[in-house]
Amino acid sequence: MHTDARTLANGSLIEGDLCIVGAGAAGITLAREWIDAGHRVLLLEGGGFDYDSRMQELYRGENVGLPYFPLQAARLHYFGGTTGHWAGFCSTLDQHDFETRDWVPHSGWPITRADLEPYYRRALPILQLGSDEWSAAGWQRRDSTLVPFPLDESVAWTKMWQFSPPARFGTLYRDAIVGARDVHLYTHANVVEILANEGATAVDGLRVRTLEAKEHRVRATRYVLACSTIQNARLLLASNGRASAGLGNAHDLVGRFFMEHLEMPSGNLATLGRTPPSTQMYAFVFGRTKARGELALSAAAQREHRILNATVALEAAPLVEQGKSTFEWATPDVVDKMRDERVVPEDVPAASAVPRTFHLLTRQEQAPNPASRITLGTDRDALGMRRVRLDWRLTELDRRSFRGFYEALGRELGRAGIGRLQMRDWVMEPPTSPWPKSLGGGWHHMGTTRMHADPKQGVVDANCRVHGIANLYVAGAAVYPTAGCVNPTLTLVALTIRLADHLRSWEQRAP
Amino acid sequence: MNRRSFIRVVGMTTLGVASAGCAGRSPSDARALARPELLVALGDAPVRAIGARYRALTPAERDVDALRDAIVGSRSLRARLVGAASPPIAEMVRDDFEHGRMVLIDGWLLSVTEARQCALYSLLAA
Repeated sequence: MHTDARTLANGSLIEGDLCIVGAGAAGITLAREWIDAGHRVLLLEGGGFDYDSRMQELYRGENVGLPYFPLQAARLHYFGGTTGHWAGFCSTLDQHDFETRDWVPHSGWPITRADLEPYYRRALPILQLGSDEWSAAGWQRRDSTLVPFPLDESVAWTKMWQFSPPARFGTLYRDAIVGARDVHLYTHANVVEILANEGATAVDGLRVRTLEAKEHRVRATRYVLACSTIQNARLLLASNGRASAGLGNAHDLVGRFFMEHLEMPSGNLATLGRTPPSTQMYAFVFGRTKARGELALSAAAQREHRILNATVALEAAPLVEQGKSTFEWATPDVVDKMRDERVVPEDVPAASAVPRTFHLLTRQEQAPNPASRITLGTDRDALGMRRVRLDWRLTELDRRSFRGFYEALGRELGRAGIGRLQMRDWVMEPPTSPWPKSLGGGWHHMGTTRMHADPKQGVVDANCRVHGIANLYVAGAAVYPTAGCVNPTLTLVALTIRLADHLRSWEQRAP
Repeated sequence: MNRRSFIRVVGMTTLGVASAGCAGRSPSDARALARPELLVALGDAPVRAIGARYRALTPAERDVDALRDAIVGSRSLRARLVGAASPPIAEMVRDDFEHGRMVLIDGWLLSVTEARQCALYSLLAA
């Protein structure tokens, strides 16, 4: 079912069993899990079915930290959410991403990779991924042209990525959601406040507004915030009627630990040998490539060098060219073109000599940093909500890890006779140096409502329930305690399915 | 290993080093060493630049003789023991990486042996 909230009489009451706030990758995934489950599910989406600049304007915010993408362009505010322009890059977090690393402050998840494994499998069809094969050897067995570099895997390895078409949830799942008898989608229903009971131990309802100045009330048994890493935190902070610092924020954690992936051109590779090694395994053509490898360091090597997790993508290019920052080339205009539903695969370059030189694009996790945070500014949007202030900050560990990664990888590539690695000047600078102009991110937002078993160290528990609030959950990358080095979508969909199972089991236990 | 065989091995080593050392005095041998594998991938100018930079950073290895001796003399004990007449450069380079004997020149992470080869190249290439 679908209702445009603008058509409801002002002051309407919307009631259900489960209320999901936000219809992006997490919200739609969760709603799909409840189709035909015999419960009344409310799915609230602030936007409509199409891009609307007035909706995007609600996401405008202030960047007061390191340079960052304009916030009103970084997330899409309509049914389907940011899957409307994502590029489809998928890979799994590594086992050690979940572990506590003594050189990475605030690291460690309250769940393991094994806990998430079955949910990764269930996430594959949702994202239109073809295989649960994540090893380079497995892909080589399927396609003999995909040959990983012969690396000593105790040092370095080839980490596999798969590519969603990309799955645009807004078109893929619209009919299923709108046609579901027990899922009721409300569009143009912007939640502006979470209303808690007197002790702020449970949610009593939600206040919803439209741009046409209508206001409705929503009441449900349980609530799940799934409206993006920044907006989830914004909503909790803005919901201060019963708790002055905002809901779930008794320990001043909501909005902190905002993380991105540092996606930066960091070096070059020149392959050696009379016949250079095949690099087909590492090639990527948008819209055509199903899987490819990127180079990574083993958990042991990361531990030895006390550095963060990262992978590096090989991009065949002459060394004289300089790779650009994602802030330079992945501009809002460029990303906006990705919203075109007709994804046109890139042309495959004519067969030529095997390339010998490559730019190296690093994808590195950001160290969890409480000072990297979302707060509320003083300006208000058209709905009367305070806009966000993003203070994106990095640490010396983030900077130092690039050099450690490249030294270890370069040594292994040399030892294996594959080639020689060149670091960019900024990689070799002291870790206290300012970040270079090539600083860039992946348009990935994580943290802000991090998961931890201890309420003093995390906003949500291992089941994504907000500590201290009986019926409020968070879905999405906002709950990541650490970011790993892979794009967040696959993991957030897997975590959302896990949340759906948890909510179902809770439902079954309830009297 | 008994004392007799030890002496023989040492003798072979000495001969081997002497042999390589004598042969190494020939300019043609220095030219043979001055062919870093990097040339194939990077081409002439970048390799010259790397070589010149290495010489600037390493005052004791600024001329052909010093560089040739450094390469030949840096062969592993095993290589010297077997007395190979010409150094197995590819193995030496691999061994450098294995044991962390690397230098960073213009951002390139290189084996010290190949950096010396680049330096020789910068002096000898026409």
